[in-house]
This record gives sequence, C-alpha cells and structure tokens, in this order.
Amino acid sequence: MRKWILVLWPSFLIAALAEGVFFTVIDPQELYLFGQPVHYSAVATYSIGFIGFWLVCAASSLTTIFLERPAREVNQPR
Amino acid sequence: MKDASPKPAPGKDGAAEREEVLYSPRKKLYVRAVTGVFARWRWALVWLTQIVFYGLPWLTWNNRQAVLFHLTERKFYIFGWVFWPQDVFFLAILLIISAYALFFFTAVAGRLWCGYACPQTVYTEIFMWIEQKIEGDHNKRQKLDQAPMSGRKLAIRSAKYGAWAVVALWTGFTFVAYFSPLSELLHSVATFGFGPWELFWILFYGSFTYLFAGVMREQVCKYMCPYARFQSVMFDPDTLVITYDEARGEPRGTRKKGIDPRTVNKGDCIDCGICVQVCPTGIDIREGLQYECIGCAACIDACDQVMDKMSYPRGLIRYSTENAIKQHWGSKEILGHVMRPRTLLYGAVLALVCVGLLIGLASREPLRVDVIRDRTSLAREVEDGMIENVYRLQVMNMTEAPRAFDFSVSGLDGAKIDGESRIKVGAAATEAVTLRVLVPAESGKPGANELAIDVKAEDDPALKVHEKTTFLFPR
Repeated sequence: MRKWILVLWPSFLIAALAEGVFFTVIDPQELYLFGQPVHYSAVATYSIGFIGFWLVCAASSLTTIFLERPAREVNQPR
Repeated sequence: MKDASPKPAPGKDGAAEREEVLYSPRKKLYVRAVTGVFARWRWALVWLTQIVFYGLPWLTWNNRQAVLFHLTERKFYIFGWVFWPQDVFFLAILLIISAYALFFFTAVAGRLWCGYACPQTVYTEIFMWIEQKIEGDHNKRQKLDQAPMSGRKLAIRSAKYGAWAVVALWTGFTFVAYFSPLSELLHSVATFGFGPWELFWILFYGSFTYLFAGVMREQVCKYMCPYARFQSVMFDPDTLVITYDEARGEPRGTRKKGIDPRTVNKGDCIDCGICVQVCPTGIDIREGLQYECIGCAACIDACDQVMDKMSYPRGLIRYSTENAIKQHWGSKEILGHVMRPRTLLYGAVLALVCVGLLIGLASREPLRVDVIRDRTSLAREVEDGMIENVYRLQVMNMTEAPRAFDFSVSGLDGAKIDGESRIKVGAAATEAVTLRVLVPAESGKPGANELAIDVKAEDDPALKVHEKTTFLFPR
C-alpha cells in the first residue's frame, strides 16, 4: 500500500499543477485529436486532461520506485 | 489513565489494534477530546473557513454567482472582477503571496496553518466531532472497536459512516459548485441529471474527503504532506513552537495531590499521559519537537487543565522558543525576538508583493485588444491612390456591461478606416472584427510603417486602449 501511495499521491499533486498551467495557456477548444478538433465538452476535456496528466506522472513515479530498488533486492536468488 | 499509553498494549489485544492500514503499520488512535483556549481557536477557524467554503457559492453578485471559476467559459468571477486566462499573472502573484505568508507565519509561530486552518485538520476535526457524538468518547470508541459485531454496533457504525458520507458528499458538491455554476448543479440535483463529469468530480472529491478526514487522518500529515517535510527549514531557535518545559517537568512521576513536588524530588509533570491521549498524531510532546507535531496545541489545553487540578502554574507545555526555554525568557523577551532578519525579510517580501498585487488590480484595464495583421493580403492598392491593409482585431470586454467601442487610427497622415469603425461587445465577452485601413500612398515609405489603433468605449472615455501595429506599403 505504501508503494501505491508513493506512486499515486505525488503524481496527483504534480498533475494538478500541470493541469493548471497547461489549461491556463491552452484553450481546450483549440486542441486537435487525430487531426480533428476536439468535440468533447470543456469539462470533459479538462477532466480527461487531468486524468491523462495523472497517469503520465504516475508512470514516472512508478519507474522511479522501480529503479530505486537496491541491488540486493534485484540480485535475490530465485 | 494508563489505558491509552503510546506503547501498544501487550498480548493479543495489542496485535488486534495494530492494523496494516494504507501506508505503514499503524496503531489506531483514539484521540481524547479536548477543551480550552486553543481548541476554541481551532473551532473558530473551523467555523470561519467552512462558512466561507460552503457559503461562497451561494452568494450572488451582479446577477451571477459571486465566486465562480467558470471552466467552460474560461473566466474566473470573483465578486466585481472577471479574470481571463490572460490574467494568469495575478494567479502567479497570489501563489507567491500564499507561499511567503506560509514562510512568514511558520518562522514566527511554527505550524499555525497545520494546527488551525489546514483543510486536513479542519475536516478531521469535523469528522472526529461526529464520531464523538455518535460513538462516544475515546474509551467507548476503543471498546466498540474491540466488541464483536452486533446489531447495536452495526447501527452505531452505519450512523457514523452515514453522517460522514453526508458531510463528504456535501463537501464534494460544494467543491464542484466553484467550477460549474451552482444554479445548474441545483437543477441537476432536482432532476438527477448531472453531467457524467460533474458527478464524477463530486464523488471524487467527496470520497477523498471521507478517506482523508475519516480514515487516514494523521497519516496524511505524517506521510503525504510535503510541507511537513520541509517546514523545519523555516524554523530557527526563536520560532514559537509547542514545547514541553523539561527543566520544570522532570523528573516526572505520580505523587499525592497537594504536596510540593520538590519535597518528593519530582518535577511538575505528573505523567498522566493526557498530552499523548489528546494528540491527533499520537506523539509524546515531552520527547521534544518532532516533525509529526502539527502544532494544534491540544496538549497545551490538556496539560493546563491538569495543572489547574494540581494547583500548579499553567504552561508546563506551552508556546515557547528554543532560546526562551534555554535562557528562561518571559513573554516579553520572546516577543522582542519576533523581529529578526528572517522574519523581517519574509515580511518585507510579503508586504511588497501584496502592494504589487493591489496596484496591479487597481490599474488593471478591463479592456484588451489584440491586433493581428491579415496575412493573406499584405498591402493592396485601391482607388484614389490609397493603400489598404487589413487587420483582425480581438476586442475583449472584461467588464460586466455590454459596451460599444469606437476605433480610430493614427500615426500616418490621412489614415482612415474604411467601413464599420464601431463594434458592440457583450458583457465579459470577446468579439472579432475585421478592420480595413486606408492610407494615401504618399504618406509613408515602402515597407513597414508604424500605425496606432485606438479603441475607446463610447460610454466611458477612460476605458481605452492604444495598440501599436505596422502598416505595409508596397515596395
């Protein structure tokens, strides 16, 4: 559980920050998805954007804690 | 009074109490309720912050919600102001002010924010109050936890979880009402026709309130809060923190009431353990300053009551500074050390940025014009030896009244606008207009020339903008 929190919580905080900065600068109506203008409602775009940021940040956190394992743990005999 | 000592009770009961919850092995805390000066302060701030939080979305101003961060419209309404994405500068300033205010208050008096105003503290306080009302005091709660499941336990538990859920849902609903107009949300409640995302965010925020304030509590402060980890860099030996006066308290121990502790070779601490029982993070303040201490002062209130009962002077645990405890300063010397380079610096930056914000807000022009040259036709010769340039203007009326604006051009002799030179823009709206400007061919040199476009509100001559652009003559 501790690892889940270490992955999900910092990524949540940073995703909130990224969401704020990104959508301050970019209007969701100006976004294109596979060459087509985004046709979702603004709230949906913001929400999907946030979850997207969260996933990306969480992937980064996950990689960090994965690489952070000490050699002793990796070398454990099977 | 030994029932809630910080060490887990031995035997199988102790094992049962240790739950592998969320983060690390945690001994569930049965926090004893406390009354006193600082508890009253905390409750005052609970009321204040929550009246503001739950109440603000219901206020109206100019026939709209007074405070609304309208995501769909990309506009932030705060009373008389309407902020646009272009005003992100003010948001940055506000963040700087919040950061420096936090630095300043932390340097002066430690974790004031955590102890009294942080949402984590405030909602935990509310949730614990509900728990106390439904399940009873800390001893009853512990008994109930250990009791086997029964009809009575089920009823009590459902009542508690139900009450928590109501508060959490209401909190989630209020949160969403800051971003999506409350009137529309209320309509959705009546018909239960929430948009999927609105409903998602209400449940999301609601369940996190429930989880953080009901279940995780002190673990959020101990393991999840970044501020708890770096607050110590703002501390110095003159920072007011909650301190146990070791010289006065030790050696601690039980004694008969009414005897002078010095005659039995004891300090003022009677080792009743109440300071530990009331601590929301479960630490023993007598072990010195610890990062888990959120500065709520519950132990001060509790200890003062014990000191009163023992007829000892209050303040065995009190707000004091490292220097003051070492050198036995009184409150006068402590106050004399509040002003020091660190606090003066934080204070000066804070004051400066606040003044900057006020000046910025006062001089903010609620009209913005973006001039973009039309790129498809650079310069065109038209009849009577005139040269035509076309511009696209974005006129943003940031006021809350529909307004008409007049355009005029200057900077080149004989420059004039061909066609419509007036535009109506709705309240807090943007209009795009195409402006055709004609200038006699002999008025400028081939290539780029400076041209100014003035936009003026018809009903308010003070509301005007002077935009510089270029006018091209053919080579």
